[in-house]
Amino acid sequence: MSKRKVFQGNIIVAKAAIAAGCDFFAGYPITPSSEVSQHLSKEFPKMGRDFIQMEDEISALGACIGASLSGKKVLTATSGPGFSLMQEHLGLAVMAEIPLVIVNVMRGGPSTGIPTKPSQADMMQTRWGTHGDHPIIVLYPAFADEIFSETVRAFNLSEKFWNPVILLLDEVIAKAHEDIEIPEKKDINIYTEKVNVIKDLNIYDRNIGENPPRVDFFKGYPIHIDGLEHDSHGWPTSDPATADKMQHLRMQKIYHFQDEIIKFNEYHMEDAEIMVFAFGVSARAALSAVREARDEGIKVGLFQPLTIWPFPKKALQERFRKVKKVLTVEMNMGQIKYEIERVSSDDVMKKTLLRANGIPFTPKEIVNSIKEFTK
Amino acid sequence: MERYEIRLGAVGGQGIITAGALLVDIAVEKEGKHALESPTYTATVRGGPTKVDIILSDEKIVFPQASQIDCFICTYQKPYDLYKNRVKDDAIVVVDSNLVPDLGGTKNWKLYKIPLIHEIKKQLGNIVFTSVVTLAITQKLTNIIDYDNMVDFVKNWAPKGTTELNMKAIELGRNLV
Repeated sequence: MSKRKVFQGNIIVAKAAIAAGCDFFAGYPITPSSEVSQHLSKEFPKMGRDFIQMEDEISALGACIGASLSGKKVLTATSGPGFSLMQEHLGLAVMAEIPLVIVNVMRGGPSTGIPTKPSQADMMQTRWGTHGDHPIIVLYPAFADEIFSETVRAFNLSEKFWNPVILLLDEVIAKAHEDIEIPEKKDINIYTEKVNVIKDLNIYDRNIGENPPRVDFFKGYPIHIDGLEHDSHGWPTSDPATADKMQHLRMQKIYHFQDEIIKFNEYHMEDAEIMVFAFGVSARAALSAVREARDEGIKVGLFQPLTIWPFPKKALQERFRKVKKVLTVEMNMGQIKYEIERVSSDDVMKKTLLRANGIPFTPKEIVNSIKEFTK
Repeated sequence: MERYEIRLGAVGGQGIITAGALLVDIAVEKEGKHALESPTYTATVRGGPTKVDIILSDEKIVFPQASQIDCFICTYQKPYDLYKNRVKDDAIVVVDSNLVPDLGGTKNWKLYKIPLIHEIKKQLGNIVFTSVVTLAITQKLTNIIDYDNMVDFVKNWAPKGTTELNMKAIELGRNLV
């Protein structure tokens, strides 16, 4: 008898969140992500963990921030329209260095868009949606087992770097029911930072590249938690030297550890002359396409990033020393293609396959595009 | 077994999503296959065109939607028009003869025209059984899952008090094709 069972993508997220130690969820249900909250609304009360449905997405992320400040591992799940509403609080979480995980199951946009169809058009919103310079971590699984592992990793990274982590999912993959062997507890690597009682007011003070300590803001000394630029004990300041230092501390705590944060999969890249760059459902179509094209003798491989932000610049630049053609496939009008242009030199030929009408590319369409690219 | 693609098309509320879920559960839990069910739906819960793609294989499934459909079962005209586009030339196709009156070109399909919904209402009294009837039709025509495994699974799955009717639904499905 197989150990594998069939679960919906959204349910896999919820199960992974439970396994990762998430003990607080606040959200406002929205297609196509609703099953995450639906599942946790049933499971959390039984486990003595907290579930709350809020009146909208703004308050949902607000509640998550509050719970995280008290040491909880928190999650919310939404889609484009809700994610747009969360941008202000997302900025606060970055500024005040509050760990949390946001699942964004993308749907057609802008605005309420096409609620029931897939899209990959929030790529840049996850990077720059909230205003100001800020570090962000964005993960993007494609297969059922990756949904589980990347959800756990989202919690681990958020906990480790005291920063919001966004998990992107495609509607197709979130809504599909797929077989997966859920890992046993002993095989799941969970990172939990000890929650300290505040004994030192200078909680935001540390050296570049160091993480701040995890604290329960509601115990010990009172700390000022603010969206305003602040000094080492959280007090608002506009002192240029302090602002400069705090900006660097926040950015470097992520960018210093890029090698640890950035993950990707490669398929058939050994002798590839053409590289397909694709993520989510587009990567799954591309993998089928790459295999079909290989059967016809075309030397093509696939690079599938699991971490979108920070962008896997170093890994790609290494690949571009050997590969001279790159085909970027994305379900939007052209977003990540600009990153590919940024990290590759002019002698790398670039081609794109773009579409934003709710219909994922089929393997055949990508095969045809690869064939044209060989000419 | 190589990748096998089945598409069920209907209008929301007819029960095909359940048929797809049952099929993949049986394939994975009873037979150790890899399986994926990918539903498409509209913002309208009932009455809008829906489809579910079911993909079965001995290997991990890569592309999660149907692109070369081996078997297409459809119970309404609008989803038929919308979702027949990726059906293979030599596919098995089953349509409701009352609710899909206009077939257009039928290629080299192995075509079954049956009064599906009418018979379900008449013989089982409730279209809620469309899911299990469709499952039984799919099983018989494709043999993609084992008959005994299907019966066992449906017996365990059936809500209390409905086992007998669900067994009748399986029988009806098999008799219709």
